[in-house]
This record gives sequence, C-alpha cells and structure tokens, in this order.
Amino acid sequence: MNRGSKILNSKVAGYSSLITFAVLLIAWIAGFSSRLFAVIRFESIIHEFDPWFNYRATAYMVQHGWYKFLNWFDERAWYPLGRIVGGTVYPGLMITSGGIHYVLHILNIPVHIRDICVFLAPVFSGLTSISTYLLTKELWSPGAGLFAASFIAIVPGYISRSVAGSYDNEGIAIFALQFTYFLWVRSIKTGSVFWSAGAAISYFYMVSAWGGYVFIINLIPLHVFVLLIMGRYSPRLLTSYSTFYILGLLFSMQIPFVGFQPIRTSEHMAAMGVFVLLMAVATLRHLQTVLSRNEFKKLFIVGGLLAAVVVFVAVVVLTMMGVVAPWSGRFYSLWDTGYAKIHIPIIASVSEHQPTTWFSFFFDLHILVCAFPVGLWYCVKQVNDERVFVILYAISAVYFAGVMVRLMLTLTPVVCMLAGVAFSGLLDVFLQEDSSKRLANTVNSVQEIDDQEESLERKSLYDKAGKLRHRTKHDSTHENGISSNLKSIVILAVLMILMMFAVHCTWVTSNAYSSPSIVLAFHNSQDGSRNILDDFREAYYWLSQNTADDARIMSWWDYGYQIAGMANRTTLVDNNTWNNSHIALVGKAMSSTEEKSYEIMTSLDVDYVLVIFGGVIGYSGDDINKFLWMVRIAEGEHPKDIKESDFFTDRGEFRVDAEGAPALLNCLMYKLSYYRFGELKLDYRGPSGYDRTRNAVIGNKDFELTYLEEAYTTEHWLVRIYRVKKPFEFNRPSLKAKDRLIPPTNFISRKNLKRRKGLIRNRPIVVKGKRTLK
Amino acid sequence: MFSITCQNYRGLKMETNWILFYVTTICLIINPITADIINKNVERNLDIASQLVKTSYKIQVEETAGKPLKEYEFIVREPNLSFISVKDGFNKKLAFEEKKENEKSQVKYKITFASSAPQQTLLIETVSTKNILPYPSEIKQNDKQLVKYVGGLYLYSNYLTQSQRINIQLSSSNIIAHTQFRPFSVMSNKMTFGPYENIAKLTDDELFVHYENQSPFLTVNTLERTIEVSHWGNIAVKEEIQMTHTGAKLKGSFSRYDFQKDGRSGQSAVKSYKTYLPASATGVYYRDTNGNISTSNMNLMRESVDLDLRPRFPLFGGWKTQYVLGYNVPSYEYLYSSDNDYILKMHLIDHIHDNMCIDEAVITIILPEGSSNIKLETPYGIKRHQNALIHTYLDTVGRPVVSFSQRNLVENHIAEFTLKYNFSKVSLLQEPLLVIAFIYIIFLLTIVFLRLDFSITSHFHKE
Repeated sequence: MNRGSKILNSKVAGYSSLITFAVLLIAWIAGFSSRLFAVIRFESIIHEFDPWFNYRATAYMVQHGWYKFLNWFDERAWYPLGRIVGGTVYPGLMITSGGIHYVLHILNIPVHIRDICVFLAPVFSGLTSISTYLLTKELWSPGAGLFAASFIAIVPGYISRSVAGSYDNEGIAIFALQFTYFLWVRSIKTGSVFWSAGAAISYFYMVSAWGGYVFIINLIPLHVFVLLIMGRYSPRLLTSYSTFYILGLLFSMQIPFVGFQPIRTSEHMAAMGVFVLLMAVATLRHLQTVLSRNEFKKLFIVGGLLAAVVVFVAVVVLTMMGVVAPWSGRFYSLWDTGYAKIHIPIIASVSEHQPTTWFSFFFDLHILVCAFPVGLWYCVKQVNDERVFVILYAISAVYFAGVMVRLMLTLTPVVCMLAGVAFSGLLDVFLQEDSSKRLANTVNSVQEIDDQEESLERKSLYDKAGKLRHRTKHDSTHENGISSNLKSIVILAVLMILMMFAVHCTWVTSNAYSSPSIVLAFHNSQDGSRNILDDFREAYYWLSQNTADDARIMSWWDYGYQIAGMANRTTLVDNNTWNNSHIALVGKAMSSTEEKSYEIMTSLDVDYVLVIFGGVIGYSGDDINKFLWMVRIAEGEHPKDIKESDFFTDRGEFRVDAEGAPALLNCLMYKLSYYRFGELKLDYRGPSGYDRTRNAVIGNKDFELTYLEEAYTTEHWLVRIYRVKKPFEFNRPSLKAKDRLIPPTNFISRKNLKRRKGLIRNRPIVVKGKRTLK
Repeated sequence: MFSITCQNYRGLKMETNWILFYVTTICLIINPITADIINKNVERNLDIASQLVKTSYKIQVEETAGKPLKEYEFIVREPNLSFISVKDGFNKKLAFEEKKENEKSQVKYKITFASSAPQQTLLIETVSTKNILPYPSEIKQNDKQLVKYVGGLYLYSNYLTQSQRINIQLSSSNIIAHTQFRPFSVMSNKMTFGPYENIAKLTDDELFVHYENQSPFLTVNTLERTIEVSHWGNIAVKEEIQMTHTGAKLKGSFSRYDFQKDGRSGQSAVKSYKTYLPASATGVYYRDTNGNISTSNMNLMRESVDLDLRPRFPLFGGWKTQYVLGYNVPSYEYLYSSDNDYILKMHLIDHIHDNMCIDEAVITIILPEGSSNIKLETPYGIKRHQNALIHTYLDTVGRPVVSFSQRNLVENHIAEFTLKYNFSKVSLLQEPLLVIAFIYIIFLLTIVFLRLDFSITSHFHKE
C-alpha cells in the first residue's frame, strides 16, 4: 500500500510538474508571439518616442563600454545645455540588453543590438508570467498561478507596454516588480533572510530599471504596517522587513539617478517610518516577555502612539528644514488629478498622464476586470499574511490606474493574479468530480486558513490528490449537490469566456497596440491594398544624410528622441522634459511671429526647424493640434509675451480658418505648417488649402517666409523641415524711421549740380552694330 | 634583323628613352629606309548622353612602306580613365600594356597585334568618369541641368592622321554652345565634327560642348560588397552603398509643392533607379540604419531580378544617401567542387544603376570555417588586402576572409573573379554536432542539478 501510493505519488508529481512546465512554456510562447504583430506587419524596428532614446543609449553603451556610458555627457541633446545621461537614466534596461548582447557576442552570435532591443520586452513577458505564476502560487494555489501566468502573458494592459519594438523600462520593470513581490511574499511566509535578501536584490534590479520602484517601496511598508495594525506581528515579519529594507536602501542608493533620494525625499519616508515602527513594536514585544501584562498594555499604547508621533513629526520637521525634499509634482498629480493641469502643463500635456476612462479598463483587461473582485473577495474571506499583501496591492493599484492611464500597467498583474484565483476557485467547485490531472495542480485550498496547516497540507499535496481519486466515486454521488449537467454548463461557459478573452486580447493587440507609430499604414478602401506612409523616417534620414553633422534642429519636444536616434542631430528639447523653461522657450519661438522667433532661434543657434503637419493626409497628432500646449507651456514662463487667450477667437474657439485669431494665423508654427499649402488642391472639386485634419480651409493662404526657407518636405507633407537663414542671407524688412535705434543723420551729398553724374574712367564707347572700342 | 630595326625605329617615336634612341640611331645608320605608320582613317564615337564619357575608336592603321605591323601605340588624354578594351578588325581581343607617364592625365598603351600585316584595324573602347561637369554648378529646383564636356578635337596620336571624324551622341537637342571648328554638323541630339584631313602627330585642340543633360548623375562613393559562402547551399550577398548626386547642386529651397505639381520641376533629381540582380536572387532586402525602405518594387524577370529602388527622398544635386542591399543566391550556380577542391566564380561587382560609376569598391569574401589554400584570380588589377578571420554563428576558430578593393569602376567592370580553396567535407558536420553537444550538456546538467540538494540545513518549509 505504502509503496503503491509512493509510485502514484511520484507519478502525479511528474504529471503536475509536466503540466506546469507545459503551461508556462505555452504562456511564454503565446505571449512572445502575440507581441510580434508589429514585427511581422512592418519590420524589426524601435517604436514610439522614448524607446528611441533607450535604444540610442544602449547602442552607445555597447559601443563605448559601461564606464563611458556612466559618464556620458550628451551634447546632442538640450542644446546648448547638454544632458548628463549617465546620471539621469535608469540604466537597468540598457544593462540588461547590453549584457545579453555581450554574452551572445562571446558565443560568436553576432546579433545586432537593435534586434535585442526590439525583442527584449516580448522575451521578458515570459519571465513576467513565470514570476506571476510563482507569486500566485505563494498566495493561493499552483492552479491559480497557472491561470494568472496565462492571463498575464496575453492581457492587453501589459502587452500595450511590451510589444516587440517597444523598448521601454516598463517592459522589464513589470517582471522585476512581480519577482520582487514573489520574493517578498516568500520571505514573509518563511521569515528567512535568504528570501528577503533575494527580494532586496530583485528590488535593486527594479530600481535600476524603472521609476515605478517607488510603488514597491511604499507598498511593502504599507503591507507591514497593516499587518502590524491587524496584530499579525511575527518574528518572520521583523526578519524579512528589516533585511529587505536595509539591503534595499543600500542597493537603491547605488543607482546614480536615485542617489540619496531614498533618505531625502518624502516618497521614501514611509518605508523608513515603518522600519522604525517595526523596531519599536519588536522592542515592545520583547518587553512583553519581560514585563507584566498590565504594565505592558500601558507601555504598548503609550509607546506605540509616541513612536508614531515621533516618526511623523520627524518627517514633517525634516521636510520643513529642507533636509527631506517634499513630494514631487508628478506625485502630487497622483492625489489631485487637477493639480498637473494648473501647475505643470508639461505633465498634463502627455496623453498617457490623463485619467483613465471606464472603457479602457474593459478594453485592457476584458473579463478579468469582472473576475478580479471575485478573487479579491476570496482573498478577503480567507485572509492570511500574504493575502493582506495582495489585497493592498489590488486596492492601491486600482486607485492609481484610475488616476493615470499609464498606471494601468501596475494594475494589470494584480488583476491577472486575482482573476486567476477567481477562475481557479470556480473550477475547483465545478471540476471536482473530474479526476483529470489538472486537479492535482488546482488542488483546492479553500479549507486552508492557517499558515502552518497550509504548508503541512502542501507537503501532503500529492497524497491528497491520490486520496481524492479514491474518494471521487463516493463524493460525486452524495456529497456534492451540484448536478453534472450544471457542472458541464458552467465549465463550458467558463471556457467560452476564456476563449473570448483570448480572442479579445489578440484583437486588441493586433489593432490597438501593434503600430510602431513611426510608420503609418492605411488600407486603401478601393482595392484593399495596404499603403505605408514612411514620412517620419524619410525626413529623419534626410536630416542625417544632408545636413551638417553639428546642425541644430528645433522641434517640439515630442520628436527630440526620434531626431537624436534616427537623424543623429542635435536637438534643443526632447522627451526627457527636465528643463521646463527651455521647452517654454521653444514653445515661445513656435507661437511668436516669424520676426520675433527669429531672434529666439538665432540666440539658440538653430539651423533647422522641424514641424509635423497632418493636414494633407488627415493625421491628427500633428503640431497644430498640439499647439495649444506649446502656448500654455510658453505662457507659464513668459506670461508677458504669450497669452493663450490671443490664440482663441472671440467666441473661445481654436480655429485655423479665416475666422481664426490673428495671433494664430501669423505665428511661426502656423506659417511653417501651412507654407504653400494654400496653393495645394487635394482634389479637383474642393477648394485649395483645405486642411483634412481640422476640416477647414486655412485662413492665411498667401504668405512668404522671410527668415526661413523650406529645406525639405516629405512625400505626404507629414514632416516639414525649414532652414533658418543666416543674417546675411535675406533682406531685412525695412524699418520705419521712428523705429530705428540710430536716427538718420543729415547727410549732405558732395555732389553738386555740376558733379551730379558719376563717371567711369575708360568707359568703352558702344556704337550699335560695331565692335566695342576700348 | 629587319624587324628588330623597325621596332627600334618606332621606339624613337615612342618616348625619349635615351638608350633606345642610341640603339635606333645606330640602326638608322645601318638601315636608312624610312618606314612610317599612319592612321589612315579614324572614326570616333563619343557618347556623352549619360554621366560617363564612352568613346569608341575605329582606327585604320597603315604602314606606308608596306612592312608588317606588329605594335601600335595608343594615347589616352582623358583624366579618370576607368576602362579600356582593344579589339582588332575581327573583333578579337588584343593584348595591351600600360606604360607609365609622368603626365597625370595621359596614359599610353602599347598594343600588340595578333598577326603582323601592313594594314590593321583597331577597335578601342574607353570609358571615363567625372569628365562631364555641371555648368553652372548650382541650379534651382526648377532649372534644367546643363553640363559641359571638354575633350580633344583630334585623336592625340604619335602618328600622322590622314582623315578623322567624331560623332557625338548627346542626351538632348538643347545645345547651348560648342566648338565651332568647321566642318561640323548638328542634327538634333547628334553632332559630327570632321572630317579633318592630315593632322600632324601629337596635335591637340579643344573640343567642348555645353548642353542639357538631365540623366542621373549618381556617383557611388563607396561600395562594400560582402559575399558569404555557406556550404549548406547558400551564398549571401550584401552591398553597402553610399551614393551622392554629383550633378548640379540644388541652390535655394526645395519645394515639395512644385515638385509634386510640376512634372518639369526637379528633372535632374533622381527619384528612382533600377538595379539588376541575378535571376536566382531570393530574400532581397533594401534597408538603411533606420530600417526597411518601404518604397521599392521587385520584378522577377527571366534573366534577372529587377529592383526598382526609390531612395527615401528624391536625390537632388549634392544630396547623399546610404543603404544596404542584400540577397541570397543558391550556391550551386556559383560554387564548383571536385572532391575537396572548391572554386567560387562570382561577379566582382554587380549592377547598381545604369551608367554607374563607383569611386571605391571593397569586396569581402567570407569562406566557410576551415577553408585553406585560398587563391584569388581577378579579371583586372585590384588592391589585395590582408586575409583576416571573422567569427559569426557557431564558429570556433573563425572563418577566413579575403578582401580586396579597387577604385573608379564602371559597368564594364562587371566580370567574374575566381576563388580557389580547399575544404574538407567532414568539417561541415562540426556545427550541428556543436549544437547537439550543447543541448545534451544542458539536459545532463539539469538532470544532475535536480537530483542534488544544495541546502545547508534541512528546511522545515521546503516544498
């Protein structure tokens, strides 16, 4: 008997590990391949804006080495200020792909760094799903873990940030986030220094990869704090948190960009406060063993309150003294959604910083958004130390996702995990009778409440599954009240829902998130053929080939990274947006008249101006549509010169046609966008100068440029590049006498009546029809 | 004895080599009969319709004394001479050797006839680059591109020329100015100068034509052609090309509106050009540092694969572009083997665009790992670089690399090189075995690893 069960045991264990392995492998492959739409439809190329910088930085690191990269002063950005790149980036992404590149080249696999960058995020999505599996397994059961792993592999909310070519920090950061949480939960469960040190190392990787590490360093202390409040203090908690905090603090300060922030800014103070609190509690607990009960009660209340007050006061005082920096603007905008719009237009101007709509929750998460409260409810019902963590994770992530579209990304993993819990719970109930191998994995943990019990149960997990096999006949007949028909209907419905989820994910990925955005494709409605608009690369390549190597290009900051990456030219402002006043200066140049902006441009040594104009093809993300943000940002710094109200009509409309505000119709951006557009007829019947994006005939059609000349315009007019003329290259418009700084003097000509005519000596005498004589 | 004298006598005319002079003087004393070579009739066809100057000469040479003629001296006074070929009246290739000259723009060739006869016919073709210059050198977008050609009116020869004529083929009938040396005639886009009678030896006069030439003036500045041979049946060819529009430079602004509206605007700009690849080419790619260039068409023809390449932007005068063009061809068409001896026969350079002109070409051939005894034969002189080793996929010792370069090449240089090497067929199995061994070791390590317990203590909470 014993021997037989042992064989059965190992057999089941073999099956379960095979299924786990197969499911994770399939999740990895599915996740990887569904991220390849853009590569297959277009090509292996870096997408969007920020990835271009990351790619450029990685290429620099690969070419020049790690130390050169750390000390890299990029003189091609933020002209004339430059940018200290090494100290202002999270280098984790570059190190990761650079490391892969290094290893592959040691093995004589000459993969181009671009391809590594393109495929990094899809590869890491597999790692994310594995770490999600591990985390969910810790929290609930291996079955739920497998569900969660499969969900996160294809869920659009995560795919949106990790398609092939989207080479951004988030791609690897979500893996680091999940893996840190897994290690943290493990260390809470075991109380082992090993796991919490692992969590600290993983946290270090996260810090090096993404600014979102602040989420971890606030969530974990919050978890500890709530556990303390719930009276769930244990030595395990003390060990794991103190190890994690101290190591994590030291590690995180190794990143040049983070530096002393962890001990000097408000965002990190909560972690320190909780650390102090935990120490206080631990001391009290120790005292509890020494003191009598009554004494201790007093001490506990007084001491606890005192500790909290001391920590709070210390933080406030330090903040006031300026030792600890107050919350940054980006952080404020998380609490007050209206804050950014008023105080920091540059943050508000980014579309991904807008509040999330309800629609996008369903769009990005589909059925998971419905299943996830169920999973949360399960966790609340059967709460234990680590489930407190996931509850807190869920609540905070839901809040942040509601504030900013971008933070949908942090919500997605927890939604997948809890939805996995929900589905696994559902199948546990309705799949009980079925003695398939899956059950071995999704073995129910409903009865498990206590920690110790659970770990004991886990130990006898396979035994139990074996026993279950024996029991099934009895159980299904009288113990379970659910009829088999109902079971099959429910299971079918669940499978249908899951199938629809997969279809939805694929559809969303293919339609919404797989456009490289530097190559536009549209389908010809007549013959169904696909046309590609490659104007961005056309313009950038023109810049890289046919301008001087040190040419400085002025454009709105959105295109800074792309110009630096694809055209390899100096830009004035870029997506880093660290210097608001410099951006405001560019905004001012764009929204002033040609004459005034020429002064700004010459003071900034601008050689070329680049604008995006979508009027010919109806591209809505062009500079005229972004123009109001330029005006707003310029107004923030130069309120005397630029006023937003000047660019609206009397009725408060922003229009480019003949009724538009004169300030708009004569500003540089308008002129550069519409130069000679007034002559262009897009179709035979329509009027000339018809802007397809704004559906209007432009108001100011006939004008010439004095200070600039058209240098290049792409095939579909999407990118227009102008050369700024040098002062000697144009005739300055004459100044009226009263405007002149130096008044005209009373110059008296020496020519008198007699000498009025000038003479040329030895003038040849010209006689018609004869040769000229000297 | 006689023929030697004769040769020496001609030697006097050739050059001021004083030893020869001395010998000849002695010979003259011995043999006082004066024999003379003359160009009886010279017909020159000058094709300056493209960016290249293509000249074909038909020279009838006669030895007035009726002695058999063995050698002839031909002088080219064109700078940047890129290609020359010499044939006799029966269209048979003749051997010739180049003689060094002090003067830069002058090259002398000593042609040896296949058979000696008093009357011979020579058919010579030359191609030179960069002799048609835009004039004015800068034009506006809507202007026509005018160019000026300056060359010799007469055949610059060591011998007296009895009668000669030049036919010039132009690209358009719009001729601004030309040499007015009678007799000449102009018919649409053709001009004829001559016949000029009895032009003394070493006489030169200038011929210039200033005319409209809208044909593409594209110069390939550098061509880096990499041929990677795999014995698994594939040859990968990659060409990295940098080109410049060397015609009249664009002055002032570029207006997309004019360019789109008016077909005559920017005629000298290069919008697209054709590249012909071998008919068996597959997997063609056309890209640059920013990725794939999506504006190109490929037509599969019987004889070749025609690529209609459009650079990302139209190339105006002075504008540059760079791209990479690559394709695969099956190795059975180019690689021949007998036992362990292999011969690779491929084009040294290939067609890039019509009337192309390559400033510098670097050709690199990567052979499979383990190739030895490499011998290279080329159809014309090249500058051989040192052999190197390159490490790519699954390499251990590295693949041998043969590379060489040549300057100033034109279409006529598309010819085959021959590369002989040894390669043992067993080493073909090295790479698959490497992969198999690697995977085997990984499995083995996993098996061992999973059966070992690395923990220091026995954990209570172990799973």
